[in-house]
Amino acid sequence: MLASSDVEARASKKYVRTFIFSMRTGTPVEKLHVITKFFMIVAMSILALYMFSIPVSQGGPDIIGLALLLLLTFVLLAIARTAKYLANSYLVLVLPVLLGQFFWWLFFNWSLPGARMLFYFWPGFLPIGVSTVVLVGVFGLVYYKTRSVVLSLVPSILLWWFTVMPGVFSFSSLFTWVRIPVGVVFSFSLPQWSATVAFSKVLGFGVLIYTSFLFLLTTRDTEIGGALKQLRLSFRKSFFVMLMFRNLNTILMDYENIRSAQIARAANVMRKNVFSRIIDLAYVSVPLVATMIRRSTEMGVALYARGFEASHGITDYKETRRFSYVDFTIIAILAAFLIYEVILGHSITSLLMR
Amino acid sequence: MSGEKKTVSNTKNKYPWSNYTLKWGRGEPVSTTQYVLYAMQIAAVIALSYLSVTVFGPLSYAGISLFYFVYPFFLVFTMWWGIWGPIGAYIGCVIGAGLLVGTGIVPSLAYAVSDFVPPFFAFVLYRGLLANKGYDPLWRDLTDKEVAGVKTKRTGAWFWFVLINGVILNLISGVIGVGILWDMKIIATNAFWPWFIGWIVGDLVAMVIITPVLVKGLTSLVERQGLVNHGWIT
Repeated sequence: MLASSDVEARASKKYVRTFIFSMRTGTPVEKLHVITKFFMIVAMSILALYMFSIPVSQGGPDIIGLALLLLLTFVLLAIARTAKYLANSYLVLVLPVLLGQFFWWLFFNWSLPGARMLFYFWPGFLPIGVSTVVLVGVFGLVYYKTRSVVLSLVPSILLWWFTVMPGVFSFSSLFTWVRIPVGVVFSFSLPQWSATVAFSKVLGFGVLIYTSFLFLLTTRDTEIGGALKQLRLSFRKSFFVMLMFRNLNTILMDYENIRSAQIARAANVMRKNVFSRIIDLAYVSVPLVATMIRRSTEMGVALYARGFEASHGITDYKETRRFSYVDFTIIAILAAFLIYEVILGHSITSLLMR
Repeated sequence: MSGEKKTVSNTKNKYPWSNYTLKWGRGEPVSTTQYVLYAMQIAAVIALSYLSVTVFGPLSYAGISLFYFVYPFFLVFTMWWGIWGPIGAYIGCVIGAGLLVGTGIVPSLAYAVSDFVPPFFAFVLYRGLLANKGYDPLWRDLTDKEVAGVKTKRTGAWFWFVLINGVILNLISGVIGVGILWDMKIIATNAFWPWFIGWIVGDLVAMVIITPVLVKGLTSLVERQGLVNHGWIT
């Protein structure tokens, strides 16, 4: 029996630990069943993959659909009260991935059909306009987060160049307010669709990344254990899955501790080449695995001592939820959207642009 | 008959590793320690998969790393703990190199098959074939001159180790992994080869550097504690 003060303490908990970070209790997303959340990320993942893969011959990627999906993901993150954490930690980290996607899909997609379009390595002038705002804005944001000039310069110059490169931007008076002639023009041509496809990949990857984070930031290991028991998996199997997820953070912490110990023993004093750094990493592996084995044997003995082998009639997890009408509604809406877009082959962009 | 039995028995015990086979196990249920150990090694592979794709950059590009240092870990774990190694490799790739770095659930579930294949077939080849030819399925012959008094074939061990794990299985894994990501339009249409080469080199370099360190440092300890699987399950 729990003391009444313990019950009160549990009930008044405002934050609980999730896979990564912690989440605020009582939000609508937190109240969803873990199966609903899983279905949600699967459905949104399929939708994003389908929307950015629609061939040019069938109208091209569903840009508006992808933008709406991304907006929906951000709304859900905001409702789950995780947006601030994401803005503080993952926003800057995600930027290079999205830039990388844009770069690869712009330059490594030359077999696209249709007319070709002129792009500029350098338009022959220094444009002052939206591109300048992008340069200063991205530099400021990344510098604020990283305090590194080099790390801030790379994405800001790259993004600035992406806004200068298309002729429609640099030669438009709406985007470029002042032109200062510098050097000569360097241009190249790419399929007309490549920029649209690259942009759709950025939106699609945004959906994939942020829906994954939505799940990881709002799900607890015990919820998964409870859901597996609801799916009639035995206690031993569901507890195995929980053990796996519960120890994830511990192992990451072990890795950090061992790295810190290496640094404390002057591993970082001399500037090393990449090969030496790789060997350093190899030397982390032995204590890391040894710690894992030691912890496993200790936990095994502890479980055995507590009668794990003879366990039966186990009480359900407190975090186990019942399926509510909200869960059914969300699953139905997403299933309908999947049928509309993927099975029937409609596109939000073509629906709105008709 | 008894002579035949004696011959068979002698052949089976020709090497100190002859008790490591492709049977299901020793006919015993999974002990509590093994149960925790298998779950922990999966957790370790998830964590290391995540670190593999983030350690040389803020976040990966579609789960592909230029130094995928979890590769030797799940190969060695498979040699120690049988089927739990490939299972760990698959789950580790889905969660650590997929969901945690934002590759998305559907692509992650599909391309993680590429991490299941190499350890699975390495286990089959080493325990089913090479162990009988005098090569240690726990790979101690990569670093030691002798194992339990039996002289090892180090050159041959390195040859098979690099050929099987670094070339053949790595190529198959790369074709499956990059192929699935390419087919799902996550890798750009004309960018298959750069990413395929990155995959192969990333796995090969990590395998050659880390495996001997892991084997030399830990295999004897794991074996002494009775934690090496005799078969697939236990």
